[in-house]
This record gives sequence, C-alpha cells and structure tokens, in this order.
Amino acid sequence: MNKLGFRIALCLGLLALLLLPATAANLSNSLKTGKAELKSAGPLAFGPEGILFVADPAAASIYALDTGDQKAGQPAAEVEAINEKVAAFLGTTPDQILINDMAVNPASKKAYLSVSRGRGPDAAAVILRVDSKGKIEELSLESVKHAKVALPNAPAADAKDRRGQTLRQEAITDMAFIDGKLIVAGLSNEEFGSNLRVIPFPFSSVDNGAAIEIFHGSHGRFETNAPVRTFVPYSVDNKPHVLAAYTCTPLVKFPLSDLKPGKKVLGATIAELGNRNRPLDMIVYRKGSTDYILLNNSSRGVMKLSTEKIERYAGITKQTEVAGMPYETIASLKGVEHLDKIDDAQALLLVRGESGALDLKRFALP
Amino acid sequence: MIPQLIALSLWLSAISISLNNGAFEVSGISPLPAGDPAELFVVAVDGKADLPPLAGTYEVQGDSVRFRPRFPLTPGVRYRAEWRPSGTSRRFEIPKPAVKPTARVERVYPTSDTLPENQLKLYIHFSAPMSRAEAWRRVHLLDDAGKEVSLPFLEIDEELWDPEGRRLTVLFDPGRIKRGLVPHNEVGPPLVAGRAYQLVIDREWQDAGGTPMVEEFRKSFRVKEADRTPPTPGNWKLHAPRARSSESLQVDFPEPLDSALLERLLWVETAKGAKVEGVITVARNETRWLFAPAIPWLPGNYVLKVGTVLEDLAGNRIDRPFDVDTFDRVEMRLTVKTRQLPFRIAP
Repeated sequence: MNKLGFRIALCLGLLALLLLPATAANLSNSLKTGKAELKSAGPLAFGPEGILFVADPAAASIYALDTGDQKAGQPAAEVEAINEKVAAFLGTTPDQILINDMAVNPASKKAYLSVSRGRGPDAAAVILRVDSKGKIEELSLESVKHAKVALPNAPAADAKDRRGQTLRQEAITDMAFIDGKLIVAGLSNEEFGSNLRVIPFPFSSVDNGAAIEIFHGSHGRFETNAPVRTFVPYSVDNKPHVLAAYTCTPLVKFPLSDLKPGKKVLGATIAELGNRNRPLDMIVYRKGSTDYILLNNSSRGVMKLSTEKIERYAGITKQTEVAGMPYETIASLKGVEHLDKIDDAQALLLVRGESGALDLKRFALP
Repeated sequence: MIPQLIALSLWLSAISISLNNGAFEVSGISPLPAGDPAELFVVAVDGKADLPPLAGTYEVQGDSVRFRPRFPLTPGVRYRAEWRPSGTSRRFEIPKPAVKPTARVERVYPTSDTLPENQLKLYIHFSAPMSRAEAWRRVHLLDDAGKEVSLPFLEIDEELWDPEGRRLTVLFDPGRIKRGLVPHNEVGPPLVAGRAYQLVIDREWQDAGGTPMVEEFRKSFRVKEADRTPPTPGNWKLHAPRARSSESLQVDFPEPLDSALLERLLWVETAKGAKVEGVITVARNETRWLFAPAIPWLPGNYVLKVGTVLEDLAGNRIDRPFDVDTFDRVEMRLTVKTRQLPFRIAP
C-alpha cells in the first residue's frame, strides 16, 4: 500500500470508528420496553448487541428482542436429553413441547431455543437460553425492549374465506441478519412460490420489503419459482452473497445486492443435494484463509463446502451435469436437527438420538 | 408402621405442603430459614433426578412459601414438591379426565377422484384443532397394491397449518415433480399416471387436546397424465345472474382449480372498482365457483377479478406453469397481478 492509500485507509478506519457507536445507539434506540406478545416462536437469528430476531409465523410478524445478554462468556454446555429437561422446566412431558429452533448468541455464546409448550394452535411460545453450566432459564417477555414488524406482503386482512376466516398462513423456514438487513424465507400454506424478503433493521425504517422471486435454472432447462428452505450469507472479495437450499433440493447462489424488492433474481444452481433429502440448516465459518459452509440435511448427513470452490464453480448449466459441485459429507454426524456456530472452531448442535431424545452437543468444526 | 411414623413426624413438625389454585405452598415453617426460596422449596416434575425445577415465581408470607408455576399444571403429570430444610416432600397429580374422541377428517381437497400425475398439494380439513409434529407419521399414500409409497410428501418440520390448526396443507415433494431435478430423474414422481392410490390418515392422530380422532380417513383416487398447462381465464364460462335477484354468479372452469386459492383470489367488482360483498361457494370438484351477493344484483357492468397466482391442481399459475421449459422459451410471466373478466347484468 502506498502512503496515500495508507492515509485513506486510516481516515476510513477512523470514520468507521466514529460511526460505529452511532449505529449501535440507533439499534437499541429503536426498541421500546413493554410486553412482547408472541403468538408463536419459530426460527431465530441473532443481530448485533445481543438482539435476537424471533419469527412469529402465527402472527405473520418478526420480533427483535433485546436479550440484554452481551457479556462475553463460555459457550453453552452440552445437555443430554435437553427436550426432557425443557419439558420438565415448563412443567410438562417431552411429547408436549416442540423445540422449533436453536441459535447461539455471538456475544455471550449462550444457546437460545424457541419452544412451543403444547402442540395445538394455542401452544404457548417460549424463548429459553442455556448457559455454560447447562442451566435453562426463560427470557422473560413481560417487560423487554423490543420491536415488531409485520411480514410485508402478508395477505390482506380482508382476504377471508366464506366463513370469514383467513386460512392463509406462512411458515417461516429461516432467517439471517446481514448488513443491517434481516432476510426471511417463508413458505405459504396456499400458493406455491418463493417468498424471500429483505427487511431493513431498525424496523422503524422498514420499506415495503416486497417478496423477491428467485428463479433457478435446473440444468439449464426447467426453472421454478420454488420456496427457499434454508440459506446463509457469506462473503467473497468482501461482496456478500447468499447460498440458498431449496425445498426441491438445488443449492443456489446469488449476490446479496440482487435482493431488491420486486426484483426477479436468477440464482446459479451449483449442486443438488440428492433425492429423499431436505436441507435443514447452514452455517459459515473460517479455517485459515478460507470460509466453509456446513449444511445439515434430513437424510444425507452434514455436508461441508468451501466458498472458494463455490465461487470457482460456474454452476450447473447443462442437463448432463447432474452432480454439480463436489462436497464432503461428515460421516460422524447423524440426526442433526439444528446447527449454529459458536465460533470458527466449534458449532452447537441439536441431535436426535436413537432413543428419540434430543441432545445439545458441541462439535469441533472440520 | 412406617406411614404412621411419617404422618406423626409431619404432624410434630407441623410443616405441610399443599396445592391450592395451581400454586404449591409449604406452611408451618418457623422460623423461616434465610436463603433463596428457590433453593429451599423445590417443585419439579417427578422423574429423573437431573430434571430441572419448574419455572415459576416464589412468594414468602408469614410462615409459608408459595410457588406459582409459570404454566398451568398438566393433567396426568406427577409433580414433587420438597421443603429441603426438613426433607418434607409431597407428590401431586391432577387426574387426566377421560375424553371421548370427537375430531375427524371432514374432507380432503381436491375432492375429485382423478388427479394429475404432477398433483402439487392436498388440503386436509379437520373438524377440530389438531396437534403438530405428527403429520408425517399419520398421512400415508398407498399404491394399488396396498404398498406404502416412500416419501411422497415434502416433510417439513414447520408443517403448513392454518391459524386455527384445522387445515393442513400437504405438498407432494416438489423435487420429484419438477422435471430435470435429481429426485425426479432418480426416484420419479410420487404419483404415476394410470395407477390408483389411497390416501390414508391414521385415527391415532391427536387433536390439540391430545385425544385421537374418531376414525381413520381414506380417499381413493386414480392418476391421469401430468398437467403442464396454466389455467386460462379466457376459457372460463360465466353465467350472469338476473338483475334484482340474489342468484349466484356462476363461473365454470374446464379443469379443477386450487380450492383454497379459489376462496381468496377470485372476487367481483363493479365497473367503478367497488368490491361486491357476498358469499363464495366452490362446487363440482372445484370446477365451479359460485358467488351469491349480499344484496340483490343491480343492473350494470361488473368484472370478475382473478389473482394471477391462482393455481390449478398441478401448481400451474395463470401467469406461469409450475416448471417453465426454458428451451421452448415459454415466456408466461406477466407483470399484472390480476386478470379481469367483464360481465353484464341486463336490466
């Protein structure tokens, strides 16, 4: 770097330092103290400053909650049969709770769980956290700094059936926070289509966040506007990208800058995850100078992909290229239902054992 | 002798544990020891030793400590409350009432007994709210030999329920339907043209209260060739009602359309764009849409509005087929969100 370049970099660095506290203050200022009345608790995603995003599909909303949990600490402990312990903590039996998602707070390394107590539509939504000693506690929503945003493009309130009911509801399958934006993947219980939304945070500055249609060519021939099941943002040359796994198995990449409301995005299909398989969760982590993606699947185990290879791989363009980009399968991992990163060395997993119990486990990232 | 001794020691200590209005209470403590009440009075589900205590709040009043659980107690679950300083404990169980099954499958859409090979969705309507996390064990597809078809559906953990928990949307695995994908090429579509199937829904499926259904449900159907043609509103037949009558506007389609979307994506407006209020009925195996106005029709010009995401049984939308064949350059993408079909009510 020459002298001028160095000075520019220095100025930019100082500017960034000056801007940082202002941005941070804006984030927490956008949250108001009060009761967060979650109707349901689905996917979780952490933003900066211990802010936890909770999808509430029953209310077609997303909550941002200030967990107040920013102190750096040891990661969540391993907990055997955590489903039994969560059920006991909530005063019921394991068959009466559902652990819907798990996320690690990057600030404190505690594990957060979104839980339904009950299995019917009136089930109580609960957010729990697990600390480094394996202690389970509830994140009280009675008086918490929070903000809520209605899912843009949710059906109009007057879209009712002949009995005067709105039957349409969206399952939210994944969320991630990147570059001041929350990306939300949804799947309607009526029309079949891609429903990926980008919602700026703080929510006060929410624009229409219209659904983005992402098409992916399958072997260059047939394309479908299919729903994204799970995704992860990753960067190549400081340009944020998204790797998305579809309900119908292709793995597709596209630049984050393409995600603009109302835009139709054509993603590049880089691999297929194989038949009789559902993608579940993805994380990105760094080893040396390379970022890797770990993806867990319902029946094909956990797969590891290098982002360098993803970028080098031009994508499936011919019908004969069935295999796509090669990936490594981690044979030692079976029954992984949820996956999140603790740091670049470890991940936290929710693993279903043969007995049916769900264990919280740590895993050294390969 | 031993139970009597325990009773005697309890009476001597005068410490008693009770359950009143959903709260556990230990009373007769004198003097009250110092310390965190949560460490002294522990209420937990009676089971493995490593289970954590119940979530809840404590209140100390005079010579008693009260613990109110965060959630109402579950009938049929046994709880153990222990006052640790004296080792006094008591177990409680709220009896589980015997409940007669009432829930059943009311109907499954499509109602037709012939479905295309690339059928995309089923809607299962229940008479009562149902339990989640059971669907993929309870819904089966049997072929004409009575053999269960392996993984025909998109088994997503989120499950696509309506807000009341009474309608479940089941998607056939789109990877097996969409042409060109590995699952389609290696395993093939879940339904094969020319064959017959049965959809079976187990009686054991629990309603939201944990009671199984009244009976099993079965639906038999045959499968015809795949449908890859988007619905065309221009081919629909509108039968306009008479002026000043409350007769229904009748719209007939040449093929069945998606039952749920017919309730939401078809509506009537006046020539000036005002929505006409009324009641929708879907009939004749989802090939007929009827609209009865709330007040009698006035003579004039009207339009039937159609949302372009309206789908047929195979997920072909008005604005594009389910899977677009880009080799054939079938450009079906329309920028408009609605189509409209005008009709006139003669004076």
